[in-house]
Amino acid sequence: MRNIAEIFKREARHYYTSPIAYVVIVIFTAVFGFLYFRNLTYYSQLSYQLMQNPYYPQRIDLVMAVFAPLFSSNSIIFLLVIPPLSMRLFAEEKKSGTIELMFTYPVKDIQMVLGKWLASITILFVMLALTVPGVFMAFKFAGSWEWGPVLAGYLGMFLMGVSFLSLGILISAVSENQIVALIISYGALLGFWFIGWAIDPNSGKKIADVLTEFSIIQHLDNFVKGVIDTKNVLYYVLFIFTCVFLSARVLESKRWRG
Amino acid sequence: MIKIENVTKMYGPTVAVKDVSFEVEKGEILGFLGPNGAGKTTTMRVITGYFPPTLGNAYVAGHSVLDAPLEVKRRIGYVPETPAMYNDMFVKEYIRYIGALKGVPKSELKSRVDEIIETCALQSVSEKSIGSLSKGFKQRVALGQALVNDPPVLILDEPTSGLDPKQIHEIRSLIKSMEGDRTIILSTHILPEVSMTCSKVVIINEGVIVAADTTENIGRGLTESHQVELTIGGDTARVKDTISGLEGIKSVSSSGNRFIVDSEKDRDLRADIARKVVEGGFDLLEMRSHSMTLEDVFLKLVTEEEGVRQ
Repeated sequence: MRNIAEIFKREARHYYTSPIAYVVIVIFTAVFGFLYFRNLTYYSQLSYQLMQNPYYPQRIDLVMAVFAPLFSSNSIIFLLVIPPLSMRLFAEEKKSGTIELMFTYPVKDIQMVLGKWLASITILFVMLALTVPGVFMAFKFAGSWEWGPVLAGYLGMFLMGVSFLSLGILISAVSENQIVALIISYGALLGFWFIGWAIDPNSGKKIADVLTEFSIIQHLDNFVKGVIDTKNVLYYVLFIFTCVFLSARVLESKRWRG
Repeated sequence: MIKIENVTKMYGPTVAVKDVSFEVEKGEILGFLGPNGAGKTTTMRVITGYFPPTLGNAYVAGHSVLDAPLEVKRRIGYVPETPAMYNDMFVKEYIRYIGALKGVPKSELKSRVDEIIETCALQSVSEKSIGSLSKGFKQRVALGQALVNDPPVLILDEPTSGLDPKQIHEIRSLIKSMEGDRTIILSTHILPEVSMTCSKVVIINEGVIVAADTTENIGRGLTESHQVELTIGGDTARVKDTISGLEGIKSVSSSGNRFIVDSEKDRDLRADIARKVVEGGFDLLEMRSHSMTLEDVFLKLVTEEEGVRQ
């Protein structure tokens, strides 16, 4: 436990002192904020138009009109900004050689992975936390306080973000070059996204359903609509567990090969 | 304290070290010699638990690197050849971090770090980042991280390479001061360093151990004759005749008034030669026994090995 905490502290401090986390946070909040602003403007225009016509419903759902599409498009933002957070975690240690001494300390591989993993999650947490005031504002203006579906959406985004980070750490453990790790992460994430489209879902083939279930973005859909389905939670948890476990195995295999 | 048993390490199909075995007793300083690429670093990395051996096993204080790597790692301080440390961290912070990772109890950590800063003379740079330090200071930080958990075993991979003479002297005396308390394996290709600091020598070449003995005895058995170097005043030819007349002398060669006398192995004829020279009425100006230096031994072993192979 102590080892994980120490490695976590070091890695978190590294994020704090290096520019990459700041750049990622700024770009994320800017893009997220822009999409949010655009959705909200559209929502207010639409509500105004609807109010003019008594035959239309007088209120439209804030969650469905603003947050669901916002959270859905967030998967693309995450896909772009999360791999830079995970790319250096192991690649840099291997490139600079600091991993040599790490391997001679009484630290287990899995402790090393978990420490770094937790530090990267902290940044994800900060990113998501910075978007909360905007959400709060929307509710304030709309005068409704439907927290539930939004919280579900945040849970979904968080799980998806952690999945991206875990895959990124695995790739960083394999690669020795940060840039290569970054590009492979993009490729792998896109692969996990497009896998759902590999076979036409309407073709009626069983394999199409299976592949759709593999898609990493697909599982966010229920969350953004405010539904927490065990199946979706389990998918992300399993995905994260597999990546973290494999990262530790990759480090171990690197030792055996010398 | 340290026991290497038939260790073989392969990188893919390349054999880096082959069937290496040796032991180091508690408190000994072992000099580990060999030309570049001989397998020194590989052997040391096996002992540190950095990677497991392909065949064989290594033990530190009775713990096997294969079965109890964490126990081994707790007892070891390792300074790699080019120590890569976190350049963004400050010296004191770094040593504290490594101390924590190596399991120094929280209550002792602070005093332990201060102690290390003092032992390794890092006071002036303790608040600087490692990346900004000179090579000599970096080496001391590396030594600091190795010593922070007060390990009974130290593995030093060329600890003085790239340092200036003053720094070399400092590091050497630091190592020497630990003799008896810690078991140390020191790899180097600076041979006088070994004669100065080590009590035992292991020479490795192309992955195979070619000699292992105490520093004094390592050359014994390699020499075919006993050599005495003399400076004698007097007629060269007559001196030569006089000495050659002694029993057990194999050959006498001279240049000016300097003579080199080869006698039979394991026979010290110095007293006889001295008497004979003086009795003959010559002036004995200088005499010394010419034993093989570590350098001679090293070169002989390493080049001979190559000769056999060709």
